[in-house]
Amino acid sequence: MSMLLEVDGVTVTFDGFRAINNLSINFAPAELRAIIGPNGAGKTTFMDIVTGKTKPDSGKVIWGERNISLLGMSESQIAMEGIGRKFQKPTVFEDQTVRQNLAMALKNPRSPFAVLMHKKTPSNAARIEAIAEETGLLDSLTRTAGELSHGQKQWLEIGMLLAQDPRLLLVDEPAAGMTVEEREKTTDILKRAAQTRAVVVVEHDMEFVRRLNCKVTVLHEGSVLAEGSLDHVTSNQTVIDVYLGRAHA
Amino acid sequence: MHKSFISQNPSVLWFLAALGLFTVIVTVMSEATGVGLVSTSFVKTLGKTLCLCLIAIAMDVVWGYCGILSLGHFAFFGIGGYAIGMWLMYARTEGIVLDSLAGQPIPATAQEISDAIGNQIFGVVGSSDFPLIWAFADNLFLQLAMVVLVPGLLALVFGWLAFRSRVTGVYLSILTQAMTLALSLYLFQNESGLRGNNGLSGLQNIPGFEDASQANISLAFLWASALALGAGYLFFAWVISGKMGSVVKGIRDNEARVRFLGYHVESYKLFIFTITAVVSGIAGALYYPQAGIINPGEIAPIASIYLAVWVAIGGRGRLYGAVIGAAFVSLLSSWFTGGGAPPINLGFYTVLWTDWWLVLLGLSFVTVTLFFPKGIGGLFDYLVRKPS
Repeated sequence: MSMLLEVDGVTVTFDGFRAINNLSINFAPAELRAIIGPNGAGKTTFMDIVTGKTKPDSGKVIWGERNISLLGMSESQIAMEGIGRKFQKPTVFEDQTVRQNLAMALKNPRSPFAVLMHKKTPSNAARIEAIAEETGLLDSLTRTAGELSHGQKQWLEIGMLLAQDPRLLLVDEPAAGMTVEEREKTTDILKRAAQTRAVVVVEHDMEFVRRLNCKVTVLHEGSVLAEGSLDHVTSNQTVIDVYLGRAHA
Repeated sequence: MHKSFISQNPSVLWFLAALGLFTVIVTVMSEATGVGLVSTSFVKTLGKTLCLCLIAIAMDVVWGYCGILSLGHFAFFGIGGYAIGMWLMYARTEGIVLDSLAGQPIPATAQEISDAIGNQIFGVVGSSDFPLIWAFADNLFLQLAMVVLVPGLLALVFGWLAFRSRVTGVYLSILTQAMTLALSLYLFQNESGLRGNNGLSGLQNIPGFEDASQANISLAFLWASALALGAGYLFFAWVISGKMGSVVKGIRDNEARVRFLGYHVESYKLFIFTITAVVSGIAGALYYPQAGIINPGEIAPIASIYLAVWVAIGGRGRLYGAVIGAAFVSLLSSWFTGGGAPPINLGFYTVLWTDWWLVLLGLSFVTVTLFFPKGIGGLFDYLVRKPS
């Protein structure tokens, strides 16, 4: 099966510390995947590499049917290729309304001139409303994003991701700081999105990962330690050692 | 479309109405109409203030909206002034030279006329040859194009180099400061071809209008400045109203996030930096004919810092705030430094405002930054919307 994203033998060193060590990991065009691992396992660095924020020392990052390399592309080019990223801390534009936040993310020409001449169209408005409905923000479209609750900000950011219409969503700790009901709703949104695109969730919380009910990749010290169903990886002795060993250290 | 833009931004209409009313009142009360309640020199001061308001809104767009604290926009203002000053000086000197040669029995050759003009303009720096940058000085339209093109190109090249290297924050401020300092120091050289520290003078005499009184000329410039400020305000309000404003404010608040949304942040910064530089150039081109003289001291780094202070005191991120700040602080500044404020005699020490005004300005800057981050313009928010 052809892969949407192939990360092959990637290594990143920060001041002698190997954050990512010969990491190889693949994603199919439509799948839900959870990446877990203890602190410092390289989860966030992995996202930084794929989105172009960090340049690896060696290795390959191959994208899409045309097998293009993402290395050497800028963050905005990679985003336009169809990779969207949600940050750990909800980063929405707090001074602006929910509608403005979504409109900014909506898949449309991104050049300054196109944006300057941009006019509101009914089709764009319909897309914004559909996404707001999906993320439960339909009643909050005119509110300032800064007024939203923590959970709503997380959804707004997921909504902004969906508005970009990416083929790969990288989602960093979507459930952090959420109540149980909010988590359930977040799980639903992500599962629905994964029907048509690849969704990669980086998560600490095992309960949340269990709810996602998907293939799990365990990272440890910058490379893949185990891969498979959650039950499969949690019964793996090295995974237990890594987690428990850390916990008791 | 245009209608909905105004209805969504009622403050634009209010501002334009206030500006129009102000201009009409000053006109009626000026010496040109015979009322004379407003002296010609004060009309000039007001006209110059409108130009400062124009560069202040440009500064507000680049700093208050886009988050680029440029400490070099007065360089673009000065370049605009020099560009128009070259034509004003050339054309006027040409007129004088032609008049003085008119009575000669043998008509002067083109070379002799050119030499005589060169002598008149560059004698002060010990030269008589026209430097290359004066090539278009005899053509008003080309020099007007320079008012727009030179600041625009400088901003484009400088911004491209700076933004491409992802220089941000205080480092970018220092870089812009260095740019304006370098330009100022260069212009101080006699070899710069712009008369060194003498600068360009006699700019208040408009060629072709030798017979017009200064009262009328100053009024014409007041109207031109008001028109430019109104047009600039409308233009910037439009730029920052729609999706462009969303993206630009997003860049101010979280540049990395905007990048991950797929926007090429550098292009946006470059666009904002360049259009504000062009508007600053236009403001300068209107300012210096009213000031009468431009010299490299005008481009000194401190001028651009004042500009940031005006915008901060007036209120960042709201165009009318920048206008209020520039008008209020610059008028107050000329009142204090021009001897308008009475000295305070403390017995053991006399507070002379020419010396102490800067301290007062500095104190109010610190106060506003610490306690009223929204500035004077923020007061309007309280009047319009009830504080929640």
